[in-house]
Amino acid sequence: MSKMINITIDGKSFQAEEGKNLMLAAKENGIFIPSLCYYEHIEPPLGTCRVCTCKINGKFGPACTEKVSEGLSVAVNTPELMDTRKALVEMMFAEGNHICPACEKSGNCDLQHMGYELGVSSTRFQHLFKDRLIDFKPSRMVMEHNRCIKCMRCVVDVTTTDGKKVFTYQNRGNETFVGIDYEQEARLTDEQALNAMKVCPTGAIIIRGVNQSEPFGDRKFDLESTQKDYNKKPVLTKRLVAMEKKMVATVSLAGCFGCHMSLLDIDTELLDVIELVSFAKSPLTDFKNFTTRCHIGLIEGGCCNSDNVETLRLFREHCDILVALGECSVWGGLPTMRNAIPLGECLEEAYLNSVTSEAGNTIVPYHEDLPKMLDRVYACNEIVKIDYYIPGCPPDANHIWKAVKNLLWGEEYSILYSEFKYD
Amino acid sequence: MNRKITIDPVTRVEGHGRVTIHLDEYGQVKDSFFHIVEFRGFERFIQGHPYWEAPVLVQRLCGICPVSHHLAAAKAVDQLEGVDPKDLSPTATRLRRLMHFGQIFQSHALHFFYLASPDLLFGMDAPVEKRNVIAVAVENRELAIKGITMRKFGQEIIKAVAGKKIHGILAVPGGVHKTLTEEERDYFLNGKSIENIDTMIEWSQAIVNFMKDYHEKNRKFLDEFAAFPSGHLGMVNDEGGLDLYDGKLRAIDSEGNITLDDIATDLYQEYFSEAVAQWSYMKFPYLKKVGRENGWNRVGPLARMNMCDFIPTPLAEKERQDFIAFTGKKVNNSTMYSHWARLIEILHCAEVIKELLHDPELMGNDLIRKGTPRLKGIGIIEAPRGTLTHHYEVDEKGMITRCNLIVSTTHNNDAMNTAVRWVANNVISRSGNITDGMLNQVEVAIRAYDPCLSCATQAMGKMPLHAELYNHLGKLIDEKYSN
Ligand code: SF4
Ligand code: SF4
Ligand code: FES
Repeated sequence: MSKMINITIDGKSFQAEEGKNLMLAAKENGIFIPSLCYYEHIEPPLGTCRVCTCKINGKFGPACTEKVSEGLSVAVNTPELMDTRKALVEMMFAEGNHICPACEKSGNCDLQHMGYELGVSSTRFQHLFKDRLIDFKPSRMVMEHNRCIKCMRCVVDVTTTDGKKVFTYQNRGNETFVGIDYEQEARLTDEQALNAMKVCPTGAIIIRGVNQSEPFGDRKFDLESTQKDYNKKPVLTKRLVAMEKKMVATVSLAGCFGCHMSLLDIDTELLDVIELVSFAKSPLTDFKNFTTRCHIGLIEGGCCNSDNVETLRLFREHCDILVALGECSVWGGLPTMRNAIPLGECLEEAYLNSVTSEAGNTIVPYHEDLPKMLDRVYACNEIVKIDYYIPGCPPDANHIWKAVKNLLWGEEYSILYSEFKYD
Repeated sequence: MNRKITIDPVTRVEGHGRVTIHLDEYGQVKDSFFHIVEFRGFERFIQGHPYWEAPVLVQRLCGICPVSHHLAAAKAVDQLEGVDPKDLSPTATRLRRLMHFGQIFQSHALHFFYLASPDLLFGMDAPVEKRNVIAVAVENRELAIKGITMRKFGQEIIKAVAGKKIHGILAVPGGVHKTLTEEERDYFLNGKSIENIDTMIEWSQAIVNFMKDYHEKNRKFLDEFAAFPSGHLGMVNDEGGLDLYDGKLRAIDSEGNITLDDIATDLYQEYFSEAVAQWSYMKFPYLKKVGRENGWNRVGPLARMNMCDFIPTPLAEKERQDFIAFTGKKVNNSTMYSHWARLIEILHCAEVIKELLHDPELMGNDLIRKGTPRLKGIGIIEAPRGTLTHHYEVDEKGMITRCNLIVSTTHNNDAMNTAVRWVANNVISRSGNITDGMLNQVEVAIRAYDPCLSCATQAMGKMPLHAELYNHLGKLIDEKYSN
């Protein structure tokens, strides 16, 4: 056994094997350092994602490329570092087109997992919505470039039996993408191909004919957090008595109504809730105007036309707190799949080119009674200030109501790891 | 006549559905339109994606009946894998059926209790404060608890097989990715944690009886309100019985003559065309051979009652017999009977769920089948709101090159417009101004179709309507939001 040395993490002393990777040394001592590109068997570590950024002996640096030595002092969980790491992960979401609800790796995706662990509920960066290739040319796999985070794992780790590389980096800077040597790719054994899919931390490498989706609850990141002390907030023990009755408004913009359905999924608890809240303007009631100021407005869906924008602004005006409910309102959600495509093409496909279009009678609807469509789908926070975000497609009913109760009455609550999801 | 109600912009923007009514110089209704104001573009943006992702992706069209979209897409995707419905493993078929019937059960319960019941319980002229499920819960707590519990039961069925109540995953190409354990099954049978399936059957029967009672007292209203002749379309099994999951397409005209003779679902594009109107994002499907004017069909519970020969479960079949007896076996063209038909289907679903839960195949382990891949897949299913079509074409690498979706509510587009016109002609015509009660009647007529505009827009059964009244010169003379 090699020599044990002393290190300090967040001011506490620990022992570790000399020369051990800092990620592992920390893990053995029960400390979670977020990471994405780090893969134990890839040596030297790639150091491409920077999600493991810590302060090492006073300097910012990636923990995964550091080996421990006597007296090493590391800061992991300072507010600044936590926010920096969160920003890095948010940037990855903003940079790619990550539509978790539509991805078969969902639940087994490392990027998504890091989002959960770092508590990412929305991104502070504008999403790019680049039109990226989904490459069907490889003989064994489909390469979904929308989901690639350029971690380089596949480039380094995937080779044919005779050692030929299958993936390479092409271009530079933010134009970098993973190129595929189709000839070598075709020579991969089944096992090697499957391994490529597993090595990829996201759903970028998909093997044809192998379904990656697994039942909820069986997926790697469904139920338990990697962090021992994930979201340790006091759980509500007492019901507050004499709570003041509150006004709630809800609306569905460019969403699918799934989020509203999830609101109803508290089932008979709804009968308790209506003792405490009144629903003002909402598709669940016949009130269509704001007749009173509301304590909270729950918004489902992003904005895809002028009506949505106008409604959202009115909600901002009439509600004290605005909650963006569900992926569509938080990030634009699945409807943003149209953002990389010209609107005209979408209209043409639906009205002119459909197999059931009338011969000789093809028009695209356009009328003064139809609202103007926006060039793309916008997340709600791109239009107005949003006070609170609840991601999920749809969010779990418990998650929604715990958050709403907290916002309305200041109830302490704790969102379970299993309740906080993007899909 | 010239009173102009000020537009409060708050409601204007909520208008996923919008009605405009135009009058001629004599004050008679000249025209009325039910505008659908939302557009998504799924048909285009799904192109370029792998077909096996379609079932999870397209279910985000709609959060009210996502299971229908999930399964219609799955049926199409099965074909791309070379697997026809009959080739699916018995376990996969049963699990998918269970999910589907759970879905219709919850969706119908949602519509009846949460959306439609205030109209029936409190009347069409009830004040706005009363027209919601909350008022139902306050005044009729027991009914509300039953309604909520029934919807919950359906949602729990979906969760058991798909892992999530909304947007779960069960179907994968050629089958399902999970079976049901005995424990999961017993949850619905033993009545320990939730009311069991026998209670659901009992309550479903009770709610059908409630409707029959209502019918006795309000027969004239049900017979006449927004009644008009139309075709009816739906799916039947080989024997002509109602089948909500798989079968052949059948349509009849308003007299009961067959207009579409039990054709295989993958032939749909030979028989159907879709018209487009400048003023709505929702298309207007019709039977080509009957023509644009008369070839449109109603779909959903009323249509299904009309065109099937029988319902293959005993209690619901008995109710169907009673239902058709009222029209002397003639086709029922009265919009409001949709509610009754819907409740008979609730009972049917509960009966089918019970059968499935007692079927040992439900818990088998043979889950996925493979066949010879094809380049085209068409999946048709009877969604809660009617016939739903998903059609995908792919290249030999599995990339979607084309997609055509005809959602159930689209088939009802003409019917809803006709219903609106009926209210305009019979209730609003000549009055010169619009009252709240009249507007609610427009909504009641549309609501009977349980339109899921979520698929094309996202409003629920209770759509915020905006009605405009124009004179013969095209001048706006009155407008009103429905609250
Ligand atoms: S394809 Fe996957 S493994 Fe390769 S660089 Fe992209 S994210 Fe990393
Ligand atoms: S987040 Fe998901 S469930 Fe909610 S509206 Fe969007 S697609 Fe529907
Ligand atoms: S995990 Fe260290 S840089 Fe990616």
